[in-house]
Amino acid sequence: MRMNLILEILDVPGQLVSILSPIGELGANLVTIVHKREIKAEEGKVPVQITLEGERENLQAVTDKFKEMGVNLIEVDDTIKKEKLSTILYGHIIDTDLRDSVDKINAVDGLVVSDLQLKLDGELKSTALLTIELDVGKREIAYDKVMEIAKEKDFLVIDEV
Amino acid sequence: MDECKLVILGFGAVGQGVARAISMKKEMIKDKFGVSLKIVAAGDSSTSAICQDGLDEELLLKTKEESGKLKNYPEYGSEISGIDILDAVDYDCLIEATPTNIVDAEPAKSLTLKAFADGKDVVTSNKGHLALFYKEIIEAKEKAGVDFKFEASVGGAMPIINLCQDTLASCGISSIKGILNGTTNYILSRMTTEGMTYENTLAESQQLGIAETDPTQDVEGIDAACKVVILANSVLGIDATYDDVEVRGISDVSLEAINLAKEEGYYVKLIGEVSKKQLKVSPRLVKKNSPFAIDGTLNLATVTTDLADDITVMGKGAGSLETASAMLTDLINIIRNK
Repeated sequence: MRMNLILEILDVPGQLVSILSPIGELGANLVTIVHKREIKAEEGKVPVQITLEGERENLQAVTDKFKEMGVNLIEVDDTIKKEKLSTILYGHIIDTDLRDSVDKINAVDGLVVSDLQLKLDGELKSTALLTIELDVGKREIAYDKVMEIAKEKDFLVIDEV
Repeated sequence: MDECKLVILGFGAVGQGVARAISMKKEMIKDKFGVSLKIVAAGDSSTSAICQDGLDEELLLKTKEESGKLKNYPEYGSEISGIDILDAVDYDCLIEATPTNIVDAEPAKSLTLKAFADGKDVVTSNKGHLALFYKEIIEAKEKAGVDFKFEASVGGAMPIINLCQDTLASCGISSIKGILNGTTNYILSRMTTEGMTYENTLAESQQLGIAETDPTQDVEGIDAACKVVILANSVLGIDATYDDVEVRGISDVSLEAINLAKEEGYYVKLIGEVSKKQLKVSPRLVKKNSPFAIDGTLNLATVTTDLADDITVMGKGAGSLETASAMLTDLINIIRNK
């Protein structure tokens, strides 16, 4: 079977080779590769589009290896591999510097706050539903970050199962 | 074994449920397994009825209902109570259904250890001794070489412990996540569908008898945390006690939070999570179309396994006959293995 992937790698020498070597070692064949250096993401990463051929297990082994190497899989067979994490926070969300809370999350590689809904209750504590868009495999990092902020600012957290 | 003599200790909703279930099923059990069940003693909080030749289940229920005390059982009523009952009669299996005590686990702990020491099997619905002294209880059971089953302690009628230990024997289990308390699930469901505040919903639940007058054990997550400990020990082999669980209840879940979640396609549920990484009870967001989106007093658990992937079970987490069903199944399994 074939598998189309879009990866994100750092635009530094040696990166491309490092992701290509596991492909053959794990029993998959590289069919095409398109290295789009002209499209550079903000953090200096470039997308690489590759097509692999092999048995399902071998292809799985390759993507597992990529994840293990910390390579971002942006798309696998046209499925966008971005995840969302929703969390409800309850506390003095505005008074504890909302901008700082959002910045702290955005500062983590692979996490972006994509939505924030607030319910205010006069001078009392407010409730927020925070949605973070994240790269595959970053769920735990996102969770830990939210918990860290919640602890620092004394928010109650209702996290996703 | 062609006869199994039972002592039922604790004659509240669960104990009475067991008597009723035995009355309903004893013929079936005799036909199918060749064993006659005989209740030789039943004890409530301060009195008992004891008869070596067997008590009548319906008469026990009637006595309790009409007079409130088992000592009023015709001819065989007695002032003997608690642990002394176990010395007053010859029996095979103790059906232990006293109320859960999360402070010192009594009287369940003493009753259970006494039965073990006397070489008797025990079936329990109690959570206290398992949540506080699991290791000690199991060691005593091993030493005595008796059977000890406690399916009813987690999720009432919902099969979970036997499911994991027996039915899924081929699988390694990495985590269990579930709704392990019906009262809190009812409160959260009503807040979600009716837009009622926590305080009003709690008051309604108390009126309906779903929440107790003192709802602390349920709403603060204590009951669910006990179940997390039992599952951690019995299914995942984690040597944990109650203090190892991170517990947060639902009393601080605001209507705003529930409404915000709902708008985004989520419900708020009190979830117990058991894994090597963490033992936790807390309000969590669950997706509207996920198995966790169950309403009312139902319980649910998703078991994550290595071979079979996820297995989810759901059922009534409380109720007299429902809980008794789990205890009677435990008893039948003990009989079958003899």
